[in-house]
Amino acid sequence: MNKKAMGFLAVASSAVVLAACGNGSASSNDQVIIYSNADDEAIEVMQNTLNDKGFKGEYIIQSVGTSELGGKLLAEGKKIEADIVTMASYYIDSADAQHDMFIDLTSSKALIDETSNIQLPILGNVGSIFVNTEMLVQKGLDTPTSLKDLTDPQYKDLISIPNIMDSSTGWLLVQAVIAEYGEKEGQQILADLIGNVGPHLESSGSGPIKKVKTGEVPIGFGLRAQALDAKEEGLPIDYIDPIEGNYSLAESVAVIDKEDDEKEKKAQEIAITIANEAREQLLVQYPVALYEGENVANEPAYLKKWTSTLTVELLQQHQAIFNAAKQ
Amino acid sequence: MIKTTMLMRGMGFLLLATFVFLLALPLGAVVLKSFEGVDGWTLHNYEQALSSGVLKEVFFNSVWVSTIAAVITTVLAFLLAYTIHFTNVAKPIKKIIRLGVTLPMLLPTITYGFVLIYAFGNQGIFSRLFGQPLFTIYGFNGLVIGYVLYTLPAAFLLMHNAMQYMDHRFIIVSHLMHDGKWRRFYHTILRPMLSPIGGAFILAFILSFTDYGIPASVGGTYDVIATTLYQTMLGSIPNFSQGAVISIVMLAPAVLGMITMGILERGNVSYKSVSQQVAFASKTKTVLFGSGSVIVVIALLAVFTPLIIVPFTTAYPFDFGFTLTHFQAVIQMPELMNVYKNSLLVAVCTALVGVVIAFIAGLLSARTNLKSRKAFDVIAMVTNAVPGMVLGLGYLFFFNNSSLKGTFFIIIAYAIMHFFTTPFLMVKNALQKMDPSWEVTGALLRDSWLQTVYRVILPNVKRTLVEVFSYYFINAMVTVSGVIFLVTTHTVLVSTKIKELQHFSKFNEIFILSLFILVTNIVVKIICEFYLNRQSKRG
Repeated sequence: MNKKAMGFLAVASSAVVLAACGNGSASSNDQVIIYSNADDEAIEVMQNTLNDKGFKGEYIIQSVGTSELGGKLLAEGKKIEADIVTMASYYIDSADAQHDMFIDLTSSKALIDETSNIQLPILGNVGSIFVNTEMLVQKGLDTPTSLKDLTDPQYKDLISIPNIMDSSTGWLLVQAVIAEYGEKEGQQILADLIGNVGPHLESSGSGPIKKVKTGEVPIGFGLRAQALDAKEEGLPIDYIDPIEGNYSLAESVAVIDKEDDEKEKKAQEIAITIANEAREQLLVQYPVALYEGENVANEPAYLKKWTSTLTVELLQQHQAIFNAAKQ
Repeated sequence: MIKTTMLMRGMGFLLLATFVFLLALPLGAVVLKSFEGVDGWTLHNYEQALSSGVLKEVFFNSVWVSTIAAVITTVLAFLLAYTIHFTNVAKPIKKIIRLGVTLPMLLPTITYGFVLIYAFGNQGIFSRLFGQPLFTIYGFNGLVIGYVLYTLPAAFLLMHNAMQYMDHRFIIVSHLMHDGKWRRFYHTILRPMLSPIGGAFILAFILSFTDYGIPASVGGTYDVIATTLYQTMLGSIPNFSQGAVISIVMLAPAVLGMITMGILERGNVSYKSVSQQVAFASKTKTVLFGSGSVIVVIALLAVFTPLIIVPFTTAYPFDFGFTLTHFQAVIQMPELMNVYKNSLLVAVCTALVGVVIAFIAGLLSARTNLKSRKAFDVIAMVTNAVPGMVLGLGYLFFFNNSSLKGTFFIIIAYAIMHFFTTPFLMVKNALQKMDPSWEVTGALLRDSWLQTVYRVILPNVKRTLVEVFSYYFINAMVTVSGVIFLVTTHTVLVSTKIKELQHFSKFNEIFILSLFILVTNIVVKIICEFYLNRQSKRG
């Protein structure tokens, strides 16, 4: 290669490097960043709604696991990269108590349950058992009716549940067990259940339904709405409301106080749009009434709520019980 | 001359400053963090970590599973390298063995786990073929297989390389002396190979011990130190000082391993001259080792078949019709394509800047008398010993409150540092082999030092620089361990996006993105090979 060509190559390549690397880091700083722990179906609804309402290209949604997002909120406070989060409501309250990090949001609609004014609920999650009916028959298993039933040795390695360490759906299961049987007996039941679950302890709340759908296991615990969807798609899936209760959690949207008025204003608009406009479709997917006047078909048989307000401290207590049961 | 020395010193100083800023300070931040208490310095973090049974358990889990994997890897790597160098297996088959065993290097380790699940899980391809799962893939078994896939290429290359420098005439001599089979094997092969075998074992052990991708995907309930570190840092209750302690614990075996490897290298046997003519390879031996190696390579490639089957199947495992819809869907998803572009950007920048840094470091180290030149050898040892997760954590601690947080710059800097050792040694070795009098000749012809470097040295080291480029590119493309702590919404890479997709069990997308990485790496490799071939034909 001659000198000129080499010199040209050197200059050209360094120009490309500088341009590319510089360009990458400076990209679109005015986009509103949304961290969301929601399932992909819910994220799709939010995206479609925001795009319809003219926010296309002005935001970017980053999905983050519940525990990871919770950890980020508690560890980073206002310094978190996101402008908006959608997250389990108790986490938002706990993070705010620690860092005073969210701005007030108001909605024109009346809520059924009082919540703090830094968040607007967007969807409710209800837990239930679900089964792959074909596989139950194939493996000659009894149909369970309660969570306690699942500790029966016949279900060894045939159940998938979400891990309370990573997933708030996993907490719904633990709440039901502890509320019904108390901490001591509850821990024993959890221990037997975890023994039956074996390798199918999932970090994601939607892990179990996927495993039940593909037939990795015949029985799972997760969101009731997911089982309902699968059933309506014509898959051999059915939900079973456990007699211990269908416990529920609200997921909310909240805006981080970034002290940047213009971007914060846009973030606020986007958050309110999610809460108001996406709600109708989210209600179809997650049939739990959160606002006055919402009607839900196909109500769970044993809808229940934990008696006190949910907090991160309570979650940690329940995680400790779960981990003790795991030993 | 004074000017030249000043210039060299200046370059050395700049480069060393870079390493201090991007390597020493971040690692120092980890060490400091591990001693940081609520009020002042304390050993409390260590006491807390060591008194809880959890860390002990995962540490021994990691040691145990990595040891088993390293033993298997070492045996297989030896078998494969031995087949290539000491049997009369046909050349094309030798080539297939060599290429086949190194293929997994072109994929991120996190992909291995998902491939294993789809190969051996309850609904896996091989489980369906045999009517039932052959074994439980989650946990210990999956980890061992994954680690073997991951470490086999590196261990194989190490032994392959060592065997290239063995003199086969010793085998002839041994035959003439009527040595017994085992005696001959011991003296002509095993004894001279002991050091590379030990090296391969340690390398496989350390790589397994510090990998995050495989346990993240297929670890199940078998907790290892890498996943524990991740959970401690990014779990529901983050504890940074505990994370720092765990990473120091993770560093210890790696440092120990490196020291042992250094000692082992002293036992290296050197030959005066090398003859590679395969001597006295009986037909039985050729057939036995040849078929054994071919089976290993076929098994290895078979494990990866889900990667090309699952994403092109309508609805695995219910509908096996061929479809391109998943593929088209991914291409039409701007967020996924952006992630791919990010990875490409990081890999290209890492490779280009990496080549420059490796070249300058190699140049100063091999062809100058600077006092600081020894420092680069130490740096190369450090980057070799520090696990990716530990360095990534250091970057998190050190850059978290700076404006560099969340930029591509720190990801690229991380990759250049983490993979520095091999490129540096490649360049240094190539430069050392060149005639030491070139600079003097250049000076006599009144070329400045820079002109000599540019006109003489650079053209002669071009081939090596292309290899360095390819090495940096591929590794930056597949790295997972450290970057999990560094990516943000705008800088997500394919290898970390896979972790997010795992959360939603979107395996089609995972496999298609992995294929993108694989194909990109193959293309880069082919281009580099093509260039090298053309160069060697020319002269």
